[in-house]
Amino acid sequence: MMTPRLHSVVRFALAAFFGFSVTLVMNGCNRPDTGARQPIAFSHKIHAGDNKIQCQYCHGGVRRGTAAGIPSERLCMGCHQLVAANRPEIIRLRDAFQKNQPIPWMRVNVIGDFVYFNHYPHVAKMIPCQKCHGEIQAMAEVRPAVNLADMAFCVDCHRQHAAPVDCYTCHR
Amino acid sequence: MDLKRRDFLKIIGATTVATTLPGCTPKAPKSLIPYIIPHEEIIPGKSVWYASVCRECPAGCGVNIRVREGRATKAEGNPLHPVNHGALCARGQASLQGLYHPDRIQTPLLRTATGGWEPATWEKAEDVVLSHLQETLRQGKGRDVVWISSLQTGSLRALLGEWLASVGSKNLLMYEPFGHEALKKGNERVFGAATVPVYEFAGVDTIYSFGTDFLETWLSPVAFARGFAGERGFGESGRRNTLAYFGPRLSMTAANADAWVDVHPDMLGNLALAFVSVVVGEGLSRLSVAETTRISALVEGFGPEQMSWPTGLTVDRIVELGRAFAKSPSSLAIAGGAVIEGEFGAQTAAAVNLLNYVCGNVGRSIRFEGAESPGTLNTYADMDRLLRQMERNQVPALFLSEVNPVFTIPSSSGIAAALAKVPFIVACTSVMDETASLATLVLPIHTPLESWGDYEPREGVHGVMQPAMQPVFGTKMLGDILLHTGRRLGRAGSFAAPDFHVYVMERWKTIHARCGKGKTFEEFWVESLARGGAWETLPPQQVRLARTLAATDLCGPKDAPPLSGKTFTLLSSPSIAHYDGRGANKPWLQEMPDPITRLVWGSWIELSPDDAVRLGVTNGDRIQVSSPYARCELPAYIKRGLRVGCVAIPIGQGHTSYGRYANGVGVNVTALLDPKPSADGSGGVLWCGTKVELVKLPGKIALASVQEAESEFDREIIQEIPLAALVRGGEAAPVNAPSLYPPQEYLKHHWGMAIDVDKCTGCSACVTACYAENNVPVVGKQEVMNGREMAWIRIDRYYADKAATGAEREPAKAGFIPVLCQQCGAAPCETVCPVYAAYHTDEGLNGQVYNRCIGTRYCANNCPYKVRRFNWFDHDIPEPLNWQLNPDVTVRTKGVMEKCTFCVQRIVEGKNTARMEHRELVDGEIAPACQQACPAQAITFGDLKDPESQVSKLTEEREPRPYHMLEELNTRPAVTYLKRITA
Repeated sequence: MMTPRLHSVVRFALAAFFGFSVTLVMNGCNRPDTGARQPIAFSHKIHAGDNKIQCQYCHGGVRRGTAAGIPSERLCMGCHQLVAANRPEIIRLRDAFQKNQPIPWMRVNVIGDFVYFNHYPHVAKMIPCQKCHGEIQAMAEVRPAVNLADMAFCVDCHRQHAAPVDCYTCHR
Repeated sequence: MDLKRRDFLKIIGATTVATTLPGCTPKAPKSLIPYIIPHEEIIPGKSVWYASVCRECPAGCGVNIRVREGRATKAEGNPLHPVNHGALCARGQASLQGLYHPDRIQTPLLRTATGGWEPATWEKAEDVVLSHLQETLRQGKGRDVVWISSLQTGSLRALLGEWLASVGSKNLLMYEPFGHEALKKGNERVFGAATVPVYEFAGVDTIYSFGTDFLETWLSPVAFARGFAGERGFGESGRRNTLAYFGPRLSMTAANADAWVDVHPDMLGNLALAFVSVVVGEGLSRLSVAETTRISALVEGFGPEQMSWPTGLTVDRIVELGRAFAKSPSSLAIAGGAVIEGEFGAQTAAAVNLLNYVCGNVGRSIRFEGAESPGTLNTYADMDRLLRQMERNQVPALFLSEVNPVFTIPSSSGIAAALAKVPFIVACTSVMDETASLATLVLPIHTPLESWGDYEPREGVHGVMQPAMQPVFGTKMLGDILLHTGRRLGRAGSFAAPDFHVYVMERWKTIHARCGKGKTFEEFWVESLARGGAWETLPPQQVRLARTLAATDLCGPKDAPPLSGKTFTLLSSPSIAHYDGRGANKPWLQEMPDPITRLVWGSWIELSPDDAVRLGVTNGDRIQVSSPYARCELPAYIKRGLRVGCVAIPIGQGHTSYGRYANGVGVNVTALLDPKPSADGSGGVLWCGTKVELVKLPGKIALASVQEAESEFDREIIQEIPLAALVRGGEAAPVNAPSLYPPQEYLKHHWGMAIDVDKCTGCSACVTACYAENNVPVVGKQEVMNGREMAWIRIDRYYADKAATGAEREPAKAGFIPVLCQQCGAAPCETVCPVYAAYHTDEGLNGQVYNRCIGTRYCANNCPYKVRRFNWFDHDIPEPLNWQLNPDVTVRTKGVMEKCTFCVQRIVEGKNTARMEHRELVDGEIAPACQQACPAQAITFGDLKDPESQVSKLTEEREPRPYHMLEELNTRPAVTYLKRITA
């Protein structure tokens, strides 16, 4: 027979190991690496929050299909030719543009290869971007707002809106 | 103790998951790289389509290439193109694997002193070419420079001519192994026109094929399959064509015939003459009295009585067949291809021409205006003459582009030795092949999908080619190389165009003048690019019977050679997958089963069942085949439907330096062939008729077959109905038997498919289209032998149950049926899945969720149709072949079950498009890849809930033809077959 004390130690150790395992799962498979900083300190707070630029001005892909898209450097330069042109981060942007170098933005929101998300139907149903991307207009640096690896997040919302919950809606 | 077994298992389970999962899925890329300046045609996540021309064979079908984020991912037929009308064969589908072939040459290669290869820069390579040419010109040998090219028309042909003219040479040889030499000679003798006419199958009631495999490889198979199958099924008119196939081998085309008649290849012409004799003798011809009298004299001695014994048909049968042909409102007889290309090919073609002429088909189903471009090819005799010149050191420099004669012409012609006598050989090719490996310099060129260009498959059909994507490697367009070197050589000719794109546009100004009335050139050019080309209608061209036609031009030997029992007549048969061998380096084509033998990854020798019994041979036995020219070893395949005394070996395998997928697979049959050009005057390769001896050796050579069964075992998989029994609007079929499965309710759509077994030709275009669309992996020979091929759709072949040997033997008869997931309404697979990965969607699909599947394989075991495929391995796809993967479909990993989804990604896309355009779906808007590719239009997909949809009408229960496969199991499939019709 195990003593109650030893028993609780074992329970604790196992629980700790279990918790550690879950963390591993989350880190290893489902969560993107968000530790690194973006190559240019872009702030959604300044653009979408303070200056109230429409999301679709830069992410027009949501109206046309699956991918929201990252704006091209030319689009950035459309404003920054003049706006804040002497700030160090903007100078880095201009340098890259003039040298024809792409900016390798760090990926923040990641969904599995077997998930086929399409922005268009969501935008067409007037689902606010914040529903999945959080208070993006308040984020100086973008972090994932919800766990997109959690299918329940998608399915709950689909149920609320009487949207299809057939597996083939997203998996194929 | 409180730690229960259940808790323990939970914890163990969780820790195991934790340790294994971090390595479970491929990591998503960490960074997102946007465009610096966005491409105006590219929307991330959206496909763009570019029209071009398929150059996998001389048929020149129009293709639309689907491009996602700058990468070509799918080739489909161009619905606007007058040759293929939207369909595309398996080889056309696989052109993408040529584009992304991992063995493509990436830089120019220069032969080193030790015989190896040294990569060179393009500047260096061009310098080498120019310095050698200048040296040749200094020696005054410019006129002996030779260029051998694959069939080209239009701009590239003109530029090749100009380039050669600038060095003073006229030696441009357009060579294709299947050069239609016999047919051209036959046309010249009978009509005075050494061309290849256009064959029109649409609207033709009676077709007699004299050994011509027009549904597989001959001339323009996609166009022919469409025209042919368009007259099959049970259309509104209630009419159906009939096809009789005369020849020694039950080919795929012969299996589509209503009657396959076993005739010796040398006797085909005589049989046609016997038909002519019946037609003119019975006054059924539509010609003047004078012409009839002349033709009667020509066929004197070829009456049904005289020809009955040599052809093996009874007199009555010949008379009956001749009469039926003449009395048919519209008929067509065809002779061409490897079976007739023996010693008497030209005579056979001429005799069949005469049959067409007396029945009034010339100018109707055979038209000489708008002739097919293969008519402009050089002959094998021209090639042979060139080889003799090379042997005499008369060729100072040889250029080759996209040809592989070392592989495709008979090896005993001495081509390798002849090439060794040429001091300077430049091979322009995208992949290394047997000919390029003997070159001095290899220039890697763009594949057609990366190139500008134009191609005219038949006169008046101007297809235009545009690059579907940026070049995969640092290759160059052949046209650009010609312009650049031509300019640098600085001799005659202007070579003024800065690049080949401009050159093509300049040349199209003449086409604009003819086809672009009322439009500026810019408008015309942009329209042509979008449409895939420009088409003009040509005035009819009448041909008359040539005055010089003599009886000797028509008749071959009077009697078939007797069976010696020792030697066999070799039929080398062009392969539907590999054509002349050029398809063998594409894994999709290697894994595409031969329609009749159902074998993959190899070559074999087909023996008739009687000969097999006589030699004591069974499937897979090692057979030594020896001809006077070579000897090789092949596995035996016992084939129902092969003339006794004949053996057949497929063309196209046995490569030695054609990349990782082709090398060492099978045997090259051309080594066995007689190297002499045919003596019938045509100068073609003797594809048929070489005499070989067989010796059975101990041991076996493995055959990889995807279907062992020859018989349906009375399961009525391919059902038939006589034409006479077809009545519209009969009694409604009985409703489904009661089922224990829960009833299904379909909310908005119920997807269904109708497959017309009468139209399906077995060509397997759908199979390859499915591989391309759905990222179906290729598993290789060993795994196929283990029964682990992954095809989501297959074409089963079943022979009619008749005696295969002995006296009571009847002509073999085979049928084809495409089998894919039947999307059952009461699906046996769904109920057994312990994790709900196989489930029923509310649109009637048997869903398969890969990320939920744990690989128990219960579903596959419970599926009566054997259409579920299990991933036993992660299938490695080498760079850059993986660029082709369809980004809309998950790449399945090891341990996951997969199957046909009715191309659910296309259904979703169709629904999304309709939603974005604020409209309802239109019937026919969504086409799965198999339906889209099908040249015969045998597949119809649509919504069964819509009573007006085409699929609902075809599968209506009151109709006589619809049936379900294995209906007695009451699985209630959404796939309905339409019965094959017997004449």
